[in-house]
Amino acid sequence: MSEKPISGNAVLSVRNLTIEYRARRGKVQAVRNVSFDVQRGEVLALIGESGSGKTTVSLGLVQLLPGNASITAGKIVYQRRDSATGQLKITSVLELKPSELRAFRWAECAMVFQSALNALNPVLKISEQFGDTAAAHGYLHGKALAERSADLLKLVRLDPDRVWKAYPHELSGGMRQRVLIALSLLLEPQLIIMDEPTTALDILTQRNIMDVLNALRKQLDFSLIFISHDLSLAAELADRVATMYAGIIVELSSVHTIFMNPHHPYTIGLINAVPTLAGTKDELVSIPGQPPDLIDLPTGCKFHPRCPLVEERCRREEPPLEDIAPNHSVACWRWRDARSALKAYEVKTQ
Amino acid sequence: MSEMVVGSEPAGQNGVMRILGKIATNFWLRRILKMLFITWIVISIIFFVVRLMPGSPTDVLVQELMVTRGLAYDEALNQAAQLIGIKLDEPIMNQYFNYMGNLLKGDLGKSYRNTTNTVVGMISERLPWTLFSVGISLIVSFIIGVTLGMIIAYRRNTWLDHLLTSLSAVLDAIPGYLTAILVFVLLGVVLKWVPISMMRGSRSPGIEPGLTWEFISDIFMHLAVPGLVYVLATVGNWMLRMKSNTLSTLGEDYVTVARARGLPDSQIITSYVGRNASLPVVTNLAISLGVLMGGSILIENIFTYQGIGLLLLSAVNSRDYPLMQGVFIVTTLAVIIANFLADLLYGWLDPRTRIPGGNQ
Amino acid sequence: MNSFRRIATPEEGQQSLHSSFWVEAGKTFRILLRNRSGFIGLVLLVSMVVITFLGPLFIKAEDSADVTMIYKGPSWEHVLGTDYSGRDNLIQLVYGGQDIMIVAFLTGIITTVVAVIIGSFSAFVGGWVDSLLMEIVNIWLTVPHFPLLAVVAVLVKLDSPWLLAMLLSFLGWAGQARMVRAQVLTLRRREYVEAAVGLGMGTPHILFRELLPNMMSFILISLVFAMTSAIYQQTGLVFLGLVPFSSANWGVMLSMAYARGAMYQPDAAWNLLTPVAAIALFELSLVLFSRSLDELFNPRLRTEV
Repeated sequence: MSEKPISGNAVLSVRNLTIEYRARRGKVQAVRNVSFDVQRGEVLALIGESGSGKTTVSLGLVQLLPGNASITAGKIVYQRRDSATGQLKITSVLELKPSELRAFRWAECAMVFQSALNALNPVLKISEQFGDTAAAHGYLHGKALAERSADLLKLVRLDPDRVWKAYPHELSGGMRQRVLIALSLLLEPQLIIMDEPTTALDILTQRNIMDVLNALRKQLDFSLIFISHDLSLAAELADRVATMYAGIIVELSSVHTIFMNPHHPYTIGLINAVPTLAGTKDELVSIPGQPPDLIDLPTGCKFHPRCPLVEERCRREEPPLEDIAPNHSVACWRWRDARSALKAYEVKTQ
Repeated sequence: MSEMVVGSEPAGQNGVMRILGKIATNFWLRRILKMLFITWIVISIIFFVVRLMPGSPTDVLVQELMVTRGLAYDEALNQAAQLIGIKLDEPIMNQYFNYMGNLLKGDLGKSYRNTTNTVVGMISERLPWTLFSVGISLIVSFIIGVTLGMIIAYRRNTWLDHLLTSLSAVLDAIPGYLTAILVFVLLGVVLKWVPISMMRGSRSPGIEPGLTWEFISDIFMHLAVPGLVYVLATVGNWMLRMKSNTLSTLGEDYVTVARARGLPDSQIITSYVGRNASLPVVTNLAISLGVLMGGSILIENIFTYQGIGLLLLSAVNSRDYPLMQGVFIVTTLAVIIANFLADLLYGWLDPRTRIPGGNQ
Repeated sequence: MNSFRRIATPEEGQQSLHSSFWVEAGKTFRILLRNRSGFIGLVLLVSMVVITFLGPLFIKAEDSADVTMIYKGPSWEHVLGTDYSGRDNLIQLVYGGQDIMIVAFLTGIITTVVAVIIGSFSAFVGGWVDSLLMEIVNIWLTVPHFPLLAVVAVLVKLDSPWLLAMLLSFLGWAGQARMVRAQVLTLRRREYVEAAVGLGMGTPHILFRELLPNMMSFILISLVFAMTSAIYQQTGLVFLGLVPFSSANWGVMLSMAYARGAMYQPDAAWNLLTPVAAIALFELSLVLFSRSLDELFNPRLRTEV
């Protein structure tokens, strides 16, 4: 497969990323040949079930994979345009030395993990944790740091007086998540990755955080990779959406296209599965079957055991992620007639 | 444990009520009172256990006097009562109140055997030695154990890990006094690396106690081997606990996030992993002190170290009740105080246990 | 062919929440065998128990003293040397383990049973009963054990293993009870227990099908730990001469040798150190064995995925 060239406006460029885990039973192929770009100022949503590889991709981007995982192939290229000179600084993340990697982390690319409930050191105050982060990167300190942090905390709708001198256990889950978001903005990174930032929270706090993120998007200039299993959240925030299944991207398109004109059976299934307020209770839909065993993957297209449109070719060959339109790629042999075929199928089974 | 700090005293209350109210709301005052209460209960239990057991001191003493001096029973009884100096035929509750009364005055009675010595005197002569040996050994053992524990947690499954973990398991398994015998025989008799005189007693006779280099170096030399034994007996425990704690802490989210934030490893090891992993271990400090003081009765025997362990042993052997009780109470008190201090320390180290808005 | 329109059924939602006792036991056994040091411990333990209880049937005890053979080192005739009156050390070792093992085992069982009952009861009931029991435990733990044992040992005649075991358990249950309670509290908050409570399963069911099977490894470790403490305490008491000697055992061997100043004589080393080695080996085998139990209990210590 020929490699797509990197555009000058891209902040991040991932090509053919492949990540494996070593397990007792064999090798877990968590991420297989994944390629995508993130443009400046855009929000890219990675959507998929658990086990689809979305978290692994993000961990790979900052090289924080657990000990038994390894990146067996691929390139991760990070670009930053110097605002003064207009020069493009290119970094190959996988080739960074440990000290360079440390400098890269958080200052260029900040990753906000799932479940911030335990993401902050319990024995240090919030001020000290901001201080540690700033000091590690030679950023501001003292009063200047306190002021900048206060601004950030206000941006995420927190009261600095309440939060600055507090310990993590004195704050609620939602507050801790927002502190983490504020912390991620501290060093003015170009790229922020958020892995399921609202999953562990109640619906009201979830709403709060989404509002905060929406506001931040408009006020600050950064790119965001938003990882979730929740399509509706992606719809709110994202510019482009990539659906992942069994370690690959199966559809990548603008958010509008994904919802209005999806072409991959999995994506269509995901969208249909989102319950609407207006629907009746016996219209609850799910995609039958289970995600495949990542150690012992099926042949051909990995979705074929669950796909209603499966054909002989699907069982033999895995479809590549192909461009079918300027901003739309799909990995399916039957992408041309997928929508109509499924609609007809639904009508038949009603 | 939630506390509500009462703002102001209710109007119209008298002084006593105000004090009681203050006690109920101040966390630390309550702790101290609880400590005193436990102390009192323990002392009482010890008193009754010792007194109500069969084989009262008079009987033993009477028997002895009859045998060794050939006295008739009545004469022996009189002499015994005189020697012991208490009215043994008084009802037990009177004895109890007398004892408690004396206790509050700081009087623990006189030894049965050497009636010229007060129990308090005998204890205060020996106690510093035990505290000295046990205290220093505990600190050394803690520092070594915790540091090594963290190191092997980081270097998991390397040869160092396997070696130290096995060594800890072995050391932890062997009872302390057996280690003492092994070390004594090995160092003093088989290998002859250490002169026997250095392993007997807490100091060499003939050296005047004082702040002289001669004295201080002497007592440290005498401490060396018993101290080594104390350390060997406990270091394994610290190491293994710390290893387990560190491994758990390394799996915590905030450590991964700290790495994602680009913090230097040295800082992560100390402020993020170290502090959190050692928290549960701190509570063990007080327990360890109790264990070591309990074990001193055996180890001081082997090294003839003149501490209160040895004192208790001779008191037990000679059925010297006041002395037995006294040593017991002092040992328990030491453990209670150590527990209290450890709690203070823990409260200072772990902000999650601090009472919001209360007094620190 | 299945479509995307299907309704989830309640039967599918209710998956089995608890694993059966035998599945847990089978898993336990397999993991026991996997850990090398644990396996060594198990082998050592079993060998020592077998030798101690079956050995006397095959090896004759030596009654007479042989004055010519005092404190001899190892030889073909006396593999581990001789003692202060010329008797063979190895024979004494073979005969000397029974008391110790029986008392250790009895103490372990009694302590563990009491601790489990009180600990889980306290955790389950909660409230003021729990607080009261825990205060009692605190008081129990504050008094230094061994000195108290020493004091009581001289006051009470301890001639039967049962009595000694009960005394040791009486002092030792407190620490175990506290750990059991902590364990029950942790497990109680786990989702599968909450689910069982939510599904309306009764208390006996929760106790026996949900909590106890998952605590088996913990209880076993507690048992082993209680046994090691018991060994330390009883041999210590014998060593100090505070327990009347009922029969020859390792502790008595040690005490006799020590009393005769064996520590200061190089020749007597074998007599002194062989019981030390026997006691230490037995303790060690118990501890090693419990290590594999520990790995079982704390999955984070396991090194495999």
